[in-house]
Amino acid sequence: MNDGPLIVQSDKTILLEVDHHLATEARHAIAAFAELERAPEHVHSYRLTPLGLWNARAAGLDAEKVLDTVLKYSRFPVPHSLLIDVEETMSRYGRLRLEKDPQHGLVMRTSDYPVLEEVSRAKKIAPLLGPRIDGETVVVHSSQRGQLKQLLLKIGWPAEDLAGYVDGTPHPIMLNETGWKLRPYQHLAAENFWAGGSGVVVLPCGAGKTLVGAAAMATSSTTTLILVTNTVSARQWKDELLKRTSLTEEEIGEYSGSVKEVRPVTIATYQVLTTKRGGLYPHLELVDGNDWGLIIYDEVHLLPAPIFRMTADLQARRRLGLTATLVREDGREGEVFSLIGPKRYDAPWKDIESQGYIAPADCVEVRVDLPRDERVAYAMAEDADKYRLCATSETKTRVVEELVAEHAGEQLLVIGQYIDQLDEIGERLNAPVIKGDTSVKERQRLFAAFRAGEVQTLVVSKVANFSIDLPEASVAIQVSGSFGSRQEEAQRLGRLLRPKKDGRAARFYSLVARDTLDQDFAAKRQRFLAEQGYAYRIMDAKDVGTTS
Amino acid sequence: MSLIRALSKELQARSDDSLRALFCARPDLISPGVPDFAALAARASGRVSVQRALERLNRPQMQVLETLHLCTNADTGHSASAAMLKKLINGSSMAAIERLLLSLQELALVHRAEPPHGVTSAAAKQRHYLPVGSLKDVIGIYPAGLGRSYTELVRLQPAFAQRVVQLVGELHRSGASVSPATTPMEAALSLQHWTATPESLQAILATAPDRTPALLARFGNWAMGAVPQAQRRASVVHESADVGPVDWLLARGLLVPLDAAHVELPHSVGVSLRGGFVIENFSLLPPVPHLGHTSAGLRRNAALGAIAETLRLVGEVLYAVRAQPLATLRSGGVGVREMRRLADSLRIDVHQAGVLAELCGMAGLLRLDVDSSAWVQPPQLEWLSLPRQEQWLWLVNAWLASERAPSLVGQPVNAAAPGAAGHRGPAGTTINALSAEAQRPDAPVVRRRVLEILHELTLEAAAPDGQAPVLDAAAVLERAEWAQPRMARRFSSLIRGLLMEAEMLGLIGSGALSQLGAAIAGEQPDAALGILGEHLPAALQHVLLQADLTAVAPGYLDPELSDRLLTMAAAEGQGPATIYRFSVASVRRALDAGQDAAAMLDFLRQHSATAIPQPLQYLIEDTAARHSRLRVGAAASFIQSDDEAALLDLLNAPAASGLGLVRIAPTVVISHAAPRDTAQALKGLGLSPVLEDAAAGVVRLRRTTPATGSGRPVYTAPRTAPPEADIDAQLAVLRNNEALAPGTAGGHPPAAAPGSEEATQLGLETLLKAIRLKQRVVMNVVDSMGNASRETVVPVAVNGGRVRVFDPDKEIERVLSIHRIIDVEATEELFQ
Repeated sequence: MNDGPLIVQSDKTILLEVDHHLATEARHAIAAFAELERAPEHVHSYRLTPLGLWNARAAGLDAEKVLDTVLKYSRFPVPHSLLIDVEETMSRYGRLRLEKDPQHGLVMRTSDYPVLEEVSRAKKIAPLLGPRIDGETVVVHSSQRGQLKQLLLKIGWPAEDLAGYVDGTPHPIMLNETGWKLRPYQHLAAENFWAGGSGVVVLPCGAGKTLVGAAAMATSSTTTLILVTNTVSARQWKDELLKRTSLTEEEIGEYSGSVKEVRPVTIATYQVLTTKRGGLYPHLELVDGNDWGLIIYDEVHLLPAPIFRMTADLQARRRLGLTATLVREDGREGEVFSLIGPKRYDAPWKDIESQGYIAPADCVEVRVDLPRDERVAYAMAEDADKYRLCATSETKTRVVEELVAEHAGEQLLVIGQYIDQLDEIGERLNAPVIKGDTSVKERQRLFAAFRAGEVQTLVVSKVANFSIDLPEASVAIQVSGSFGSRQEEAQRLGRLLRPKKDGRAARFYSLVARDTLDQDFAAKRQRFLAEQGYAYRIMDAKDVGTTS
Repeated sequence: MSLIRALSKELQARSDDSLRALFCARPDLISPGVPDFAALAARASGRVSVQRALERLNRPQMQVLETLHLCTNADTGHSASAAMLKKLINGSSMAAIERLLLSLQELALVHRAEPPHGVTSAAAKQRHYLPVGSLKDVIGIYPAGLGRSYTELVRLQPAFAQRVVQLVGELHRSGASVSPATTPMEAALSLQHWTATPESLQAILATAPDRTPALLARFGNWAMGAVPQAQRRASVVHESADVGPVDWLLARGLLVPLDAAHVELPHSVGVSLRGGFVIENFSLLPPVPHLGHTSAGLRRNAALGAIAETLRLVGEVLYAVRAQPLATLRSGGVGVREMRRLADSLRIDVHQAGVLAELCGMAGLLRLDVDSSAWVQPPQLEWLSLPRQEQWLWLVNAWLASERAPSLVGQPVNAAAPGAAGHRGPAGTTINALSAEAQRPDAPVVRRRVLEILHELTLEAAAPDGQAPVLDAAAVLERAEWAQPRMARRFSSLIRGLLMEAEMLGLIGSGALSQLGAAIAGEQPDAALGILGEHLPAALQHVLLQADLTAVAPGYLDPELSDRLLTMAAAEGQGPATIYRFSVASVRRALDAGQDAAAMLDFLRQHSATAIPQPLQYLIEDTAARHSRLRVGAAASFIQSDDEAALLDLLNAPAASGLGLVRIAPTVVISHAAPRDTAQALKGLGLSPVLEDAAAGVVRLRRTTPATGSGRPVYTAPRTAPPEADIDAQLAVLRNNEALAPGTAGGHPPAAAPGSEEATQLGLETLLKAIRLKQRVVMNVVDSMGNASRETVVPVAVNGGRVRVFDPDKEIERVLSIHRIIDVEATEELFQ
């Protein structure tokens, strides 16, 4: 019997025993083709998915290597059906190739004639194909490159895109590495991306995805379009680029609801691009009408559907996706794969954390007992109101005060969903509140003050969830959240995962009303966070202040 | 001389060793024993016995036997020699045929005979043979896949007889070199002559439409074929240029219509197509299949993986059945809905669940409870407490011996089982798990053979170092068709399922016969146990508890531990490791079942390799705190005493341990035993209890099922040879009787005792011969009043225990029951 750290299950999951002496070695070996699903303290579980296997193929790994790795580290015999399945799935990638033909333009080639026959007979694919050149080659309308790839993936024959990219308008960009250096993994991520042509780089929040983007821009040295989730995030990109590269204020344009500048490097929000007027997307021209050499998608996991459609038409341009997670709440991982590209770099959170680049977080769930009158109100409320009632309990406000007192002197965020509650907390703590109607300018001012340490406590609503850089927040208190979505949790924790100057652990409190819906949602959150490998504990509201 | 008598004489002259070999090869000959050689010969000539013997012949033996059958005539005593057979078997040698004939003679399927009249003296010196009498019936009408001759077809197919004269006439007029005829028999002979040699047939086919050779090739192995509208009017007159191959062949009489949908390729056409041979391809060596390879490491991985998985799933089936027995349908078997429930609880698909349930059923791990009509786990199942390798052997033995074919579950009823049972369900229904339709009495024999063939092929294949040959159903079937052509047909419907089941049991891994499979095929179960024991890890006694409220068992968990965990957490995942997930619901379930938080945490602490994570502890304690405060439990009796110390003593007394005492309050102890038993036990301890409320309590007498042995299946390979002692006893009887009647050895055959097996066979043989030759026989017949009479009749047919006879004196046909015929004597001319 083998004594490896892996247990390969017949349901296509792989369990990794973390305390095993070969665990690190095995983790690195399987990370290339298996997706980390859960990472609690002792046993991590990975999943083998077709996408993961195809990602591995795209990275140059063949089935034999994958099987060797699995067999080498597995403690028990590996289910034979799984081995066969892996081999078969992997052999599907690359049997169809999109190539550039000097005579016919974009063509699809295959080394396996029946596969081409099969796909060219598929009802949805046939109209995208032009005339057959020979048994193994068929012309593809170049405008359909993206859609074809998308459909091929759906029927299980992902095509390898070797058709190359347009150069775009050259524009010199250089990294300005004075006083800082690109971290090794950022360097590797940018390199891998460039070698692969297009694709996605997966890095945890706080690991410096912006810098990977900057490094890619420097390698490309062409005009670049950067798509981000919102205006604040756009400003942060701009600041970061000004600081880290040779780009100047005049070279970077912002294209958002308020400003519409088109410059060699343009940062646009998803929102403005997807604004629809009279059935048309008036701002899509920004994308089509310019000769971009590189398009960067920030937070790929949030990419809205219209952008996907648009991206399908942009297959000739280099695309870089940046994200903390490939998991999409809407399950459209396949579209990211086929339209943006395969995963080019992925670092497990824990690895980067242990290298000291992001701070470990300590999660604490504080259980609050509702007072009698609130319990009665809760019991009698309509289903639609129940969550709001328990989430905004007054007791929570008191606990927040106690916690703030306990962490006096630390940079602290209070996060919540309900504006009334946040306003009240802001008033009680005498802290500024950032919510939907706070102007961008005001937000930036407050964030800057928080960063500088002038403001120690900030109360923020949902708007602050995505893509805002809040370094040095070491404590966060979540008072209410919308239905425990996995996305949101990762993002909220991301706020705290910034490296601390003194190496202190960040603390993440979530306040939960006992015996209510709130607790059910908390159970989901707990599972997700524990699965992500965070220390998680539960305490009673009355114990607040007695421990720390 | 009668064939049976000839055989009897020959058997008598054989050495004891040769007879011994015969009995080993055909055990049914001496079971039950026979009194003398005549009876032995009669038994050996019996239809059923010959049929069984033919099932064991390999292809060359069968080919020689069929050819011998074709070129001999038992009625006229026309025998054949190896030299004659060689001419009809392409690629054969004299030596090979001699050897094969000898092997057939040893099996008492052929015997020596006088050379036919008129052969040259040189040829007459060669050994000549005749097959046993009933061979014709067993082989059927298409020996070697060849059709009947034109003359026979004219005799038996009136429609063809009517048409053949005209057909020959038309052919003659159209310029074919066939001589015209006036009677059907003449026409048949001229067709036969026309197609007699490969050259002449080639000349005829030269003008055939394009697709004709392809069509004829389909008659290569079997003379009969299906053709739509076989009796269509096809004629060479007015034949259009684009005539189809079927019309073309029918118009020339090269295919003969049998009925509306079938045609036959006549004998002479078939032989000419085979280049003038009866057997076109003859080889003494089995075909060597082209096999792929897999690495030995992969093979072991797959086999061991499958075993661990199967054992785990069988365990889960039993766990699920303990929770809820499998209900049966009124028509028998477990319904699809019930099976789906099982599959869902095991997180596998329905088909796999069906196969597993069958496996459990055949191994006796599930038993049909007659009272509830549900499949339940028998009480005190020994299997559960065995080490895993022995659990595996138990399953393998049960599988080898079982007459059920689990893989048939889920297949359409009619397609899978064409037998009587198969017609019960309406079309479209499928075979249910554990139902009668999946019964296949020949399954053990087929399994054994398949394993043997796998073993053979594996040993033969020269696999490179570290590699093992991959064997598929096609390779096994090909070998089976060579080794036992008459048996192979039974293989084809079962083989795929068998291989799949063998894979589940780890006898096959990654498509190759595993070491375990080889050991089982070689009937060395102990070796298999040894191999498996080395590779199956011991059961784990610990789990890893994690903050995401799961417990992970990194491997095979001790069943007791796993059962206990399942009461407080739900299992997840599929594979060697199991993940147990705790939730409010699962903890509540445990609390409902009577566990309390402290006990649960204690149990977890004991069996966790790590500390209990704080959230898990919180979950259990929090849930328990809210769990109902009233507790209901079961106790068969209680013991109350104000003397707390006495109760404590009682609890600690070893003699009271059988009562299952639990203290639920300082002054109350409950017992699992009935009040009477408890009282009895307490009396034995020197205490004097008062039996409260004994009169009011209903003492229910429960039927206790006696423990029925261990239930462990013991597999013995299907017997191929009778025990040595039986053979010795039989030989003694035969030789002894021979000594008692020394005169019979070389002289006249003794008269068969009326009513003996031999007499029946002889009578039947005489009857059949008379029917074929249309000759008279003399019968002693008893009527319903018991009066015997002697009649001279011409038998017409024998069927279903009755003989149809023609009485030439009264010129009427009558039907006689065979049991009323005392004996049959042939009239003189029959012996000529």
